Amino acid sequence: MELFTPDFGLVFWMFIAFAVLFLVLAKWGWPVILKNMDRRADTIDKGVEYAQQAKQQLDNAREEARKYMEEAQARQAEMLRDVAKMRTQMIEEAKRQASEESQKMIEAAKVSIEQSRKEAELQFRNEVSKFSIEIAEKMVRTQMKDNAAQVKLVDKLLDEIEKN
Amino acid sequence: MKRILTILSLLLVLLFNSVPASAADAHEEGEKESLDVKEVIFHHLGDGYGWEVPFSHVYRIPLPVIVRAQDGQWFCFSSSRLSMVTVTEDEATGKKHEELTPVVHKVERDGRNYYFYIPHLAQHKTKVVQLIPEQAAEADADAAIAGSHPQETADAATIDVNGKEFEIYRPFDISITKNVLALFIAAVLVTLMVMSVVRYYSRKGMKAPRKGMGFMEMLIDFIYTGVIKSSLGDKAQKFAPYLLTCFFFILTMNLLGLIVIFPGGANLTGNIAITLVLAVATFVVTNVLGTKHYWKEIFWPDVPLFLKCPLPIMQMIEVFGIFTKPAALCVRLFANMMGGHMIVITLTLLIFIFAAFGAAALGTSVVVSVLFSIFMLLLDVLVSFIQAYVFTLLSALFIAAGQESGHHHKDGEGHDIEPTVEA
Repeated sequence: MELFTPDFGLVFWMFIAFAVLFLVLAKWGWPVILKNMDRRADTIDKGVEYAQQAKQQLDNAREEARKYMEEAQARQAEMLRDVAKMRTQMIEEAKRQASEESQKMIEAAKVSIEQSRKEAELQFRNEVSKFSIEIAEKMVRTQMKDNAAQVKLVDKLLDEIEKN
Repeated sequence: MKRILTILSLLLVLLFNSVPASAADAHEEGEKESLDVKEVIFHHLGDGYGWEVPFSHVYRIPLPVIVRAQDGQWFCFSSSRLSMVTVTEDEATGKKHEELTPVVHKVERDGRNYYFYIPHLAQHKTKVVQLIPEQAAEADADAAIAGSHPQETADAATIDVNGKEFEIYRPFDISITKNVLALFIAAVLVTLMVMSVVRYYSRKGMKAPRKGMGFMEMLIDFIYTGVIKSSLGDKAQKFAPYLLTCFFFILTMNLLGLIVIFPGGANLTGNIAITLVLAVATFVVTNVLGTKHYWKEIFWPDVPLFLKCPLPIMQMIEVFGIFTKPAALCVRLFANMMGGHMIVITLTLLIFIFAAFGAAALGTSVVVSVLFSIFMLLLDVLVSFIQAYVFTLLSALFIAAGQESGHHHKDGEGHDIEPTVEA
């Protein structure tokens, strides 16, 4: 029967021990642990979410990079093509310009040759006419002592001019 | 597996070596030393003023005895003063025999003598009592009592020492007994376990603890999410400290009780005083913090009117229920743990009982008993856990019942009577 009658001393100490244990743990023990466990669980959840997001982002970035690469390659090919086209165009242009230029120069040379020829001709003519006039003057001074001869000469001269 | 086998065989060898010797002793001394099974069981289940030293029947670790004598004086002395080891030598064999006998401890204070004694037959068996001499005989009582072993007559209110009558008075006793010390050890252990986790957090921050602390955290999480949160919901935070303390304290006490030698061995949760305090704590928490709705459910439950109006049948049942619930908690834990201890002790004692029937019976009973004891002890480890869990779970459910706010019930009848009782 002594097993079923609680002993006062033990009840007393049990109450004290339990109360002290409870107060100590309720103040410094359990809240800290529960809070920490909750916080860690939250952190882990966040971490998992973050990792998933990061993976998603990485995939996206990779896809984007691939796209950019392809685009760049396409542009490069296009550029090369353009450059080639441009080069031939430029060569053509240069050729055309050069020929044009040379043509022009030839023309100019022709014009200047013609001009100088004309000038020379003119000068020559002037000189010839001057000489001829002088000669004519001299001849006329000597020969034209009578009127008949003068008329005959004029006629002759006029004939000559007409022949020319 | 190999290790387990080694331990098993070692245990068997140990028992085979020690048992025949004691059996032989018992045989030699004949009927005088016959085994008092009931005494042994009750000694192991009960409390004591000293703590048994392993492999010794008589030596005890002394513990402080704190008592308040009849006239209000407080006394504190070592429990070793209350018993004495006497060594008698058997002349025929030369074998020494040690025996623990209770002696009277005399304290002189302010000219008065106080006598303390642990009776083993009379009233207040195995508890410290104060012996009060009859007024007239006070002078020569001192001479009679000095260092003597009183002769006790069973169940008498007085004790007779060398022809002098002494009145027995059971003092107010808050001694640090074996159970109390075990209680302190358990409390310190729980504090250390919990604080080690707390300290780990403050040192390592958010890192998850490993090994022992990881197990501790797993247990905390198991109880917190599995029991407290699932039954208390959003009020879990408020009651978690109490319920977690309950669980870990009970678990530690249960497991400590299964360890046979010093820091363990005290049958703590198999003692009704311990479970009583725990159950009362749950009772107080449930009812003091109970909501209005809880009290309304008790004094004006939602049942047909004839069940509660002229004769308060439901009220009586409900009020009765308030007390039976924690009582069941108290008795369940107590009975389970005490039962486990009792079975293991009984199985071990079978060896000594069968020893009387010769070597063959002894050998068989040793093997069978040891195997069964080990099985029972392992089962008790499981039971320790289950009982701590069940106590916590039921406490949580009772507290949850007291926390009902009742907005999911229809509120039609409860208007005419206000719940007047608020604890």
